Amino acid sequence: MNDGRDPFLPGASSPIARLVEAFHRLPGIGPKSAQRLAYHILRTQEAEAQELADALIEVKRSIVFCAQCQNLTSRTPCDICTDGSRDRHSICVLEEPLDVLAIERTGGFHGLYHVLHGVISPSDGIGPEDLKIGELLTRLRDLETEVTEIIVATNPNLEGEATAMYLARLLRPLGIRVTRLARGLPAGADLEYADDVTLGRALEFRQEVQ
Amino acid sequence: MPGRIPRVIHTTAIVLRYRRLGEADRIVTLLTPGRGKIDVVAKGVLRSRSRMGGHLEPLTLVEVVLAHGRSMDVVTQAQTIDAFPAAHADLDRLSAAMYLLELADRITVEHADAEGLHDLLHTALVRLARGDGQQVVQRTFELALLEATGFRPELTDCIVCSSAVPTESAWWAPVEGGVMCASCARTHPDAQPIDATALRVLRAFQSQPYEDAGRIRLSDELAARMEQAMHALMRSVVERDLKSAQFVSAARRARVAGETLDDAETAKDE
Repeated sequence: MNDGRDPFLPGASSPIARLVEAFHRLPGIGPKSAQRLAYHILRTQEAEAQELADALIEVKRSIVFCAQCQNLTSRTPCDICTDGSRDRHSICVLEEPLDVLAIERTGGFHGLYHVLHGVISPSDGIGPEDLKIGELLTRLRDLETEVTEIIVATNPNLEGEATAMYLARLLRPLGIRVTRLARGLPAGADLEYADDVTLGRALEFRQEVQ
Repeated sequence: MPGRIPRVIHTTAIVLRYRRLGEADRIVTLLTPGRGKIDVVAKGVLRSRSRMGGHLEPLTLVEVVLAHGRSMDVVTQAQTIDAFPAAHADLDRLSAAMYLLELADRITVEHADAEGLHDLLHTALVRLARGDGQQVVQRTFELALLEATGFRPELTDCIVCSSAVPTESAWWAPVEGGVMCASCARTHPDAQPIDATALRVLRAFQSQPYEDAGRIRLSDELAARMEQAMHALMRSVVERDLKSAQFVSAARRARVAGETLDDAETAKDE
């Protein structure tokens, strides 16, 4: 601010420009949204801005990967991995940490998790070696309780399917049952607009009406 | 006077890839017969009730309606013509299909004429999905793609001195774009010896009709050698590593490892 520039005018070195640029780097934030956020911060109380800055630093310093499931946690092993009431015979493999929350919300799964932190996506330059697949194989060898089922819950798209099939190919020789989340029509869907693959799978895995 | 840009366009296209845009939208890369490779915006496709999401997955031949947008066209309707379901059912076929899509994507530039490339890719995906040999499909696609884009590899004569190169003493020079005689290879440190049978089969793939090429039987080992040579060539043409090519090899290695283990267990049981 002592370089003679007005801090309120855009410029590469002004504090506002730096803040706008920092917000712009976040996923899903365009230049206009970044400006709005920066000016919102400027209008808030200093204590509120300090709280945000502290939260950012704290999350970077205290959050680590769980040594077992690779989920993000403040202590390792994480609460789920150390919970003695969970079924240790089944592991649900997921793409991202947020997917753990989605499965937990259903209340229908009581086993353990393993987070891959991505999927095989050649167009984005991500191969199997960039994921936590090696950690899963090491974990299966080291676990005291025998794992009987791996539920692959990657997204039902091209990359998710490729990742699931690759995992199945690696895990089959270990004698572990590998399953995949069912794929079909979402609640509230319209048959007329369903794509052929989804409708085909929905037909293939149809169930008797209770 | 430049012609008016139509406000709405109907076209078929092969979905090559997509990337996320904002909360629920995607930028989808399409390979169309008339307009080449284009990026279009698909709004709301990440929502579970989206009517278009499932139709705009990579490895799908679709019919789309595009509304002219300021920077990018916007998809207003999408209907699957062929999702190549058989290619999704097997990891080797799926990884091969991902490789074909990445190759088509990397070798084309946006809005350049790509009618021939669209047809080549469509034909290769149809062949892959109907169960043709994956090696034949991939290698013939690579060779046809290189031919169509002006990168036809020289497989018979030395790329440096133009002398005929016997398969038994041929060297493979991906950066130069073909084979070299032993004498010229001495001055090109990047050239590597190439297996004589692998080169003979590649020559056959380049010169014979697809139906004849498809009758050639390939062992896993020979297929791996041909794959290694062609992946190196494609890498030098697109000037970057092709992750899908590495995935094709990783998937095959995992299959071979599993089969070896099965064989060992069968032998132990007997």
